[in-house]
Amino acid sequence: MRSSAVSLAAASVALGVVALVLFAAPLWYAWQVTIQESRTEILQADAQRLAEVYRRDGEAGLAATIGARVRMQIVGERILLLTDGRLRPLAGNLASWPATVPTAPGNYRVTLQSGAAGTQSALAHVERLGDDYLLVARDNRLFGPLVHRFWYGLAAAFAALLICGTLVGLITRRRLMWRVHGIRQTISAIMQGDLKQRLPTGRREDELAILAHTINGMLDQIEVLVNGVRNVSNSIAHDLRTPLAELRSRLEQLALIRPSPAETFTEVDGAVADIDRVIRIFDALLRLAEIDAGVRRAGFVRVDVSDLAATAAEFYAPAAELRDVRLECRVGGPLPVVGDPVLLSQALANLIDNAIKYAPAGGGVVEVVAERRGDGVEITVSDNGPGIAGGEKARVLERFYRGDASRGTPGAGLGLSLVQAIAKLHGCGFELRDRRPGLEAALRFPPAAATARAERPDAAASAARAILAPHDGR
Amino acid sequence: MKVLLVEDNERVSQFVLKGLQEAGHTTDHAANGRDGMFLAASEPYDVIVMDRMLPGDVDGLAIIEVLRRTGKRTPILILSALTEVDDRIRGLRAGGDDYLTKPFAFGELLARIDALHRRAHGVRPDVPLTVGDLHLDPLTRKVSRGDRPIALQPREFKLLEYLMRHAGQVVTRTMLLENVWDYHFDPQTNVVDVHISKLRQKIDAEFERPLLRTVRNAGYMVTSGE
Repeated sequence: MRSSAVSLAAASVALGVVALVLFAAPLWYAWQVTIQESRTEILQADAQRLAEVYRRDGEAGLAATIGARVRMQIVGERILLLTDGRLRPLAGNLASWPATVPTAPGNYRVTLQSGAAGTQSALAHVERLGDDYLLVARDNRLFGPLVHRFWYGLAAAFAALLICGTLVGLITRRRLMWRVHGIRQTISAIMQGDLKQRLPTGRREDELAILAHTINGMLDQIEVLVNGVRNVSNSIAHDLRTPLAELRSRLEQLALIRPSPAETFTEVDGAVADIDRVIRIFDALLRLAEIDAGVRRAGFVRVDVSDLAATAAEFYAPAAELRDVRLECRVGGPLPVVGDPVLLSQALANLIDNAIKYAPAGGGVVEVVAERRGDGVEITVSDNGPGIAGGEKARVLERFYRGDASRGTPGAGLGLSLVQAIAKLHGCGFELRDRRPGLEAALRFPPAAATARAERPDAAASAARAILAPHDGR
Repeated sequence: MKVLLVEDNERVSQFVLKGLQEAGHTTDHAANGRDGMFLAASEPYDVIVMDRMLPGDVDGLAIIEVLRRTGKRTPILILSALTEVDDRIRGLRAGGDDYLTKPFAFGELLARIDALHRRAHGVRPDVPLTVGDLHLDPLTRKVSRGDRPIALQPREFKLLEYLMRHAGQVVTRTMLLENVWDYHFDPQTNVVDVHISKLRQKIDAEFERPLLRTVRNAGYMVTSGE
């Protein structure tokens, strides 16, 4: 298995080796150059001193000095050789002039064959004293241990790097695997249906913890959705069962009693009304599903919400009149937003319908206001009815929830959740505020929705709407 | 009126055919796409009612597209169990003239077939409309009954105009919502009825003969006849 921890460690080790080489190579080079230079200087100074002796005491004197020096020193450390003009040795610790060394004065790097020590690399200096030749050489072997120590050090550093890297890689991998294993266990528990489980996040804020936080957020959302679906299916079961049960008993009764034709027709009409109720709930649910799925966003165009608000208010005016409720509509100039005109109309209609239903009959006031507020656009629908208690506000947005006050009034309890879903689709805020007395429902379009240009040009949009609404020559 | 129904469900077909015949229309029926295509292309119909989902995975829309491409301009009403608005738009783009979702009330279907037929036979938008002694002039936007002028709000005018253009035909609440208010959703109230009763107050209240009638279980009709 290719582990990310191991490859990371390997990469670090490789990087360390490169750094080591980059560090050692110049050092090695500088060292070599310096040693060469200082040793050459030493040889030259040595030769200089011997030349001094030659000038002062002549050939015999120098031969004696060299002889004394050779006897005093340790074997092989320093090589001295004095020969006459025909390269016959006069004094020194070499038997003859080595073939590898030229006779011209200067500095050479050579290989020498010297008695017991065998072949050795050396630095040689050749000097011409009168007719004689002087060879001063110094064995390189002296620096051997130093060079070895340098290479050993380098090798040790390399090994340490390798071992540490491998260890770190293995440990990291173990720890990662351990944490990943924890996550996997939690996730498999979740997959088995325990949606309450959450990933361990620990106290640290590392990458895995951030990932775990994100996944936990996702799980929260999934849990909410799943619970929502569960609630909805329970509610569907309840809300569809009731009218279907009524329908069933109505028809059964009819088959059983076989009443007069007139009565039969009344019952049949009632049955059709029952079915219409079921269909209505179905349609509302389908629309909710459609909105939740976000497919409707494809139909977004530029619409004037003040126009929509005015139309909705005007549509409901007779209904308000019938209940002796004053319906006021205050809309400013055009307030263009990007949205689905059908859905926005439906949201407004639902809000106004609710407001009229809950405003007290005789003396109730419903206000519809559309205005620019700050950067955005806000539409509010308010009434002076009983309002909604603080705790109930969130619940009225739930699907199929019907407040105690609404028992006995028609409706499936989907109105406000539909408004909320529509608001969500449009990126709108939807808020229910207390008005004491009464309730204010506010739809807030953010600046983006309120000012953004429609994705489709308006011509195409109106064409689409024209198709939707085949007019009779209007 | 000669109507072709392309629909595979036997019970729905029987029900619709019987209803159409009772309403005085001549009917033909095709239970699959091929027969439907053949009949629609060869016989002169006034209106075609086309189901979207036909046996053998044939989409009614494909048939409509072919008909339109061959130059057939017969008004087509699409029946579909698919309610998504997107679907509705696609149906109308393909060349359908109206769209009705299943399940539907027969009154709704009949009213829409009538409206389609009426529309196909030339509507002149500017010609003054007259029903009995009720006059409406779309150009000057003046309404009068007998010699008495009637003042209407703009929306009331639109409502009356739509009803008068379909004089003698049943107009359903849904048709009114769609065509007068441009509302393609169900407001789940009886507000349309309230609008109608307000309109009735203005055009019928002080006259002996009511012109705006309620058709039980279907909708409304403006007519001067019995």
